[in-house]
Amino acid sequence: MRDQGRWMMRLWRHGRAPMMVAVALPLVSGLLLVGQAYLLASVLHRAIVVGASPRDLLTPVLAIAGLFTIRIALAVAAERCGTVAAERIKLSLRTAFHADLLDHRPDWTAARSSGALSSAIIDQVESLDGFLVRFLPAMAQAAILPLAFAIIVLPVDSVVGLLFLVTAPLIPLFMALVGLGAEAASRAQAEAFARLSGLFADRLRAIVTLKLFGRAESEIQTVRLASDDLRLRTLAVLKIAFLSSAVLEFFAALGVAGVALYVGLTYLGFVDLRHSALTLQFGLFCLLMAPEVYQPLRLLAANYHDRAAAKAAVAELARQFDALPDFAAPEGVEPPTSIANLAAPIAVDMNGISLRTPDTSRLVMDDAALLVPAGRHVALVGESGIGKSTLLEAIARMRAYEGTILLDGQDLARIAEPELRTRVAFLGQRPRLFHGTIAENIRLGRRHASDAEVHEAARRAEVLPFATALPDRLDTLIGEGGIGLSGGEAHRVALARIFLRDPGLILLDEPTAHLDTETEARILDALMDFAAGRTMIVATHSAAVAARLDRVYRIVGGKVLPGPHMRAARPAPALESVA
Amino acid sequence: MTAFWFFRPLFQRHAARLAWTLILSVFTLAAGIALVSVSGWFLTAAALTTAAASFNLFGPSSLIRGLSFIRILSRYGEKVFGHDATLRLLADLRGWLFASLFPRVPLADRGLRHGDLVSRLTADIDALDTVFLVAIGPMLAALLLGSAMATGLWVFIPAAGLSYAILVGLAVLAVPVVLILASRRMGKELVEASAAARIAVLDGIDGHADLIAFGETATARASFTNSAARLAGVRRRLAMAGTLAAAATQALAGAAMISVLWFGIAAVHAGTIGGPLLAGLLMGTIASFEATGALVRGVARLGVSAAAAARLKAISTARPMVVDPVRPLPLSNGDVRFEKIVFGHDPRRPVLRGLDLHVKQGSRVAIIGPSGSGKSTVLALLLRLYDPQSGRISIGGADIRTVALSDLHKKVALLSQDSPVLLGTIRENLLIGRADASDAAIWRALAGAGLADFVLGLPEGLDAFVGETGRTLSVGQARRLCLARTLLSPAGILVFDEPTSGLDREAELAFLADLDKATAGRTVILATHAAMPAGAADHILRMVDGRLESA
Repeated sequence: MRDQGRWMMRLWRHGRAPMMVAVALPLVSGLLLVGQAYLLASVLHRAIVVGASPRDLLTPVLAIAGLFTIRIALAVAAERCGTVAAERIKLSLRTAFHADLLDHRPDWTAARSSGALSSAIIDQVESLDGFLVRFLPAMAQAAILPLAFAIIVLPVDSVVGLLFLVTAPLIPLFMALVGLGAEAASRAQAEAFARLSGLFADRLRAIVTLKLFGRAESEIQTVRLASDDLRLRTLAVLKIAFLSSAVLEFFAALGVAGVALYVGLTYLGFVDLRHSALTLQFGLFCLLMAPEVYQPLRLLAANYHDRAAAKAAVAELARQFDALPDFAAPEGVEPPTSIANLAAPIAVDMNGISLRTPDTSRLVMDDAALLVPAGRHVALVGESGIGKSTLLEAIARMRAYEGTILLDGQDLARIAEPELRTRVAFLGQRPRLFHGTIAENIRLGRRHASDAEVHEAARRAEVLPFATALPDRLDTLIGEGGIGLSGGEAHRVALARIFLRDPGLILLDEPTAHLDTETEARILDALMDFAAGRTMIVATHSAAVAARLDRVYRIVGGKVLPGPHMRAARPAPALESVA
Repeated sequence: MTAFWFFRPLFQRHAARLAWTLILSVFTLAAGIALVSVSGWFLTAAALTTAAASFNLFGPSSLIRGLSFIRILSRYGEKVFGHDATLRLLADLRGWLFASLFPRVPLADRGLRHGDLVSRLTADIDALDTVFLVAIGPMLAALLLGSAMATGLWVFIPAAGLSYAILVGLAVLAVPVVLILASRRMGKELVEASAAARIAVLDGIDGHADLIAFGETATARASFTNSAARLAGVRRRLAMAGTLAAAATQALAGAAMISVLWFGIAAVHAGTIGGPLLAGLLMGTIASFEATGALVRGVARLGVSAAAAARLKAISTARPMVVDPVRPLPLSNGDVRFEKIVFGHDPRRPVLRGLDLHVKQGSRVAIIGPSGSGKSTVLALLLRLYDPQSGRISIGGADIRTVALSDLHKKVALLSQDSPVLLGTIRENLLIGRADASDAAIWRALAGAGLADFVLGLPEGLDAFVGETGRTLSVGQARRLCLARTLLSPAGILVFDEPTSGLDREAELAFLADLDKATAGRTVILATHAAMPAGAADHILRMVDGRLESA
């Protein structure tokens, strides 16, 4: 917790120069305010006591206007610098968190709620804005200005100066006491907010299903209850937080009232604590300064929740990302520790492999072994949920594993990332289509592929039959998650990416799920053609796929067993009725 | 701005709380002005008095103490009331938006992407929610107090009252209007930039494995940095507009103060008012700027709120794809009939071209055919997710367009291809199919889907928590959970879209073989590319060129 606080207080350094200006200028402006009040008191004094004419007072009145103008200019400059600094800091934070996310293995992201993660990067980082733009400058002002004002007033009237000196530092003390409670409550609120965001994302994704099952009413209720829960939590935070503003209001009112009564009674002669007579000018000056002494503190109080919100946001960020990014170290992945190139077809040798489910509670693979010689084409079969996908992901270095996996005799863990990704192609079971055109999505395979190459990949993956019927053909926009394409169509677009690459090892997870027999057969032809001279491991439920490969392995009880006689490979009696 | 009007009824529900907030904030500000004015007047009067003994000390001093207490209490009350109302409004807005989405899904606009929708539900509603607290309330309070202050000044120094009224009027009315107009477009841009950045993050999370597999994380990084930089740029410009507006307000306030001072000095010099009064009025004038100071920060966010309100209004008033009949007819059991159905998401590209289908009550029909041939569309039409461009669909002789949608959905249960697993326990996921299902029924459904053994093996059993998109389940297990949910539903007609995708052949065969038992005499229509074992279906139909033929 203390580390988080320190991390937060160090944030300003990433916008050093503008942030320093943003903090310093209001202090200068505060000192000019003293001059302004002094002049104003003197003008009033001369008008009221001396009876000066407006013409006599023109110069000091213009001077007041001048000071006022300068203070406005300072405020504009300070705010501008504050915003520039804050945006710079938030941008570097977002980039760092996003990079951190991508640097993890996919099983790390898979184990987290995407709604909560995106809310952390977008919303929680935004929650730092108030802290950077408002709280930090306000903190500097609150620390310096009340004391400075009190010291300036001290020679004018020692009693008023002492009154300021004593009440002003008491305020932060009280507010800190009040703030402690507010902070704990506000952390709870940030958690509730993240959960709520996750719940919304989840229920939105399912909204059609919920509607069809007639769950509209009860889900609206769920959302309402969650929102109400958030309201109660937030209000609990605020009720305490507002106590601090009441405390402050109490002292500010006490300050003004105290000065007015003390100075008034001095004039009336009921109080006599001074050696010399107090002029109206100095009396008014004290009264004018009274609200100003408390103003920086009031500003700090108004922005106090910015700090609480920022703290809560930092805690949430630390929770979502396990750690806060350290800016001192250059970002990016460790430089590769690697070694020689991987050969054209890559041999895979696994020993003592143990794999767990993402929540690490269940053992999926238990001390399993598998040897796939270079250039061999192998099917992995087994009941759904038995661990085929998990095993493929381990070979693709997408998740943690125990044991050794050797690619061409080299330890998978030590192969450089770029080398591994160039030479190993992987198609997961739930490939993601990004927002963009079909062609752009296929180009994920190779960014600089020519239009002809993309077209050819699309043809091999059987994308063309449906794409040519679309208004913009391969340039048709497909949405997030592939909205607008059927499951089978989306899968084929993802498959086309593979054809743009030149891997030595191809890892495919259910490449023909969602496909009818004819399309499946055509895609298999293209795949077998492409896989010549490469190693290929395919996890599949399809008898047709398994039948085309060199060898079939069966996963049973956490082991990989040679299964040349897979049952599914035999055509079921009724198969012909379809074919 | 007009979009706010649309949300009026929601605000009206909290009118009393909002009114109290306004009254209390006016009290707070007025007490502050009065406190300083009385102090200034008292102090000056005391300095000028020659007969201290006859000076009425009791009045001013008790007034000063009273005003202090009013200010402390009303400040606290104002804050608590205001935030309570705002948070209630927030809960209402969320519930309302969710409620207005239900009849409109699936949304006609296919460009509405998931990340964008999430952003709408949270960020937009938050933006709309704070409108009263940070913008409308302070504006009304500043207007009320400004008028009162101007009147007060006008009584004693007419010229000062007039100039104060003009200058503060400009600050309270003109500056916000200019700022709103200037920041309206930026507000819209901000919401869009923020949604785009969110989508970039979601792309990185949901597509993480793909990005890594293709070594494309650098591209994803660059594209996110771009969208985040764009967001920062919009924010900077928006903040600058606010800063300039705040400066304008301050300048107008300063001018008002100088004018009061100037005309006041002249009035004192001319003898029309006394010195203590001038001191009181001037101090009060300075204190009255507390109201205008808070204004701009709120108004700067008004533009953001307006854009959010417009988007929320658009999504909640979108025309539903299908409409409930005004006078629904009852729906009874019976045969399902599709007659001469023509349908395409793009009417120029019909997927179904004069399709006919007759499913007898209690029979099981399988539809096979290449993916993308329109199998899923046939099933979606039966649930009226869309209406066909021509043709008629009936159940037991009743055109489904003449019966209530809720009745139709009670009668027909769908397992769609993208059926989701919800954040919650296994039991909660199943109860969506039938809220009042007994444990026995739940276990029967799980057995029918081939998931009972797995759930029995979990330490928490039915109360095991399953994560977002069911990620702690394998694809096959998630599929079976959705399958069990559909089996659990009391509907008389069960519609399965690729029920066995993600299952291996053995599990698939087992499921299809048991379909008879699991569906127990209910009508079943299933679309599949799986080879059907003998006896699993009474009829197998093939989709060919937008029509169905016997296979």
